[in-house]
Amino acid sequence: MKLRNALVMIVAVVLTLSVGVATAQEMTKEQWQQEMNKLTQTRNDLQAKLTALDASISSLTSESNKLDGDYQSSLDALYALVGSDREKADAYRSELDAPEAKAADLMRLSDADLMARSSEVTDLDSKVKELWGNKLSLIPEFWDRLTALDTKVKSLKETLTKQVKVYTVGTWSKDRDCLWNISKKPDIYDNAWLWPRIWQGNRDQIKDPDIIHTGQMLKIPQGKEMNDAEKAAARKYYHKVAARAAAAPAANPAEPAKK
Amino acid sequence: MLKCTRTVITIGMAFLFAGSLFLYGCSSSPDEQQLKALQTLKDETAQLEKEVKEKEVKKSDLEKNIAEKNAKIKKCAEDQAIVKQRLAK
Repeated sequence: MKLRNALVMIVAVVLTLSVGVATAQEMTKEQWQQEMNKLTQTRNDLQAKLTALDASISSLTSESNKLDGDYQSSLDALYALVGSDREKADAYRSELDAPEAKAADLMRLSDADLMARSSEVTDLDSKVKELWGNKLSLIPEFWDRLTALDTKVKSLKETLTKQVKVYTVGTWSKDRDCLWNISKKPDIYDNAWLWPRIWQGNRDQIKDPDIIHTGQMLKIPQGKEMNDAEKAAARKYYHKVAARAAAAPAANPAEPAKK
Repeated sequence: MLKCTRTVITIGMAFLFAGSLFLYGCSSSPDEQQLKALQTLKDETAQLEKEVKEKEVKKSDLEKNIAEKNAKIKKCAEDQAIVKQRLAK
């Protein structure tokens, strides 16, 4: 009897709790309605927002397309100021790439290596001058790039100047100055066969190594080794002289003469 | 006395259980169709939220793009003025 009462009590408590929990977890119709109202409101708001966003995006896309046209017109007007067009400007832009790469390459060299490639600095300088000659250089984009290139070329030339001794050509009658004899001087190379170094280091003022003029200021590149360009130039010269000698056997092929 | 107490407790429990059942029975809950409608609405709202976020990103990108283009046009106008100045020299 005692046991039966205890069991009845336990079952009653468990059932009561179960019903209570079930009631608490289940959504009521009122709650459902509230949730539906809330979600419907949110959905309507979102739909309105989406419509507004679509309108904004459409308007912004049109504006963006219009600006594309405006920008192209502005560019055309800019290039037209210097008598050019987009195509020529693109070509000029690409043309600037090579000297910039060359300058960067030369800037990395040691002073001795730079000396050996001094002719490239001269070429670079000429190229930069040529690029400045184009009216497109007045456009800030190109102006800035060329100014930066100028600075580099100037720095390279300064480095070369520090490395180069200068010799002023004297008179033939008094000094017997020709490239061969100058190179032979003890304070120059003390080696006549290095005369192509002086020729190649002064290509801007010596077109023909047989012809130098009194008062010319010749740069004397440092170092007593000829680089490949100088050797090639010498070979070419000796071939030319040999050909000349074959035609007129009396000529001296080895010594460039002062005329 | 003890027997009386037990009987009172048992009767109390029975009332409590009956009361709970009554409450549960009286509170009406939504049917399956209504619950399905609620879920559909929830899904719809979630989808709309996603679309709104995407469009907001697109709008923001376009605004940024337009600002960049305006800056480029302004720079172009400044460049034109500089070129004119340089040409005048």
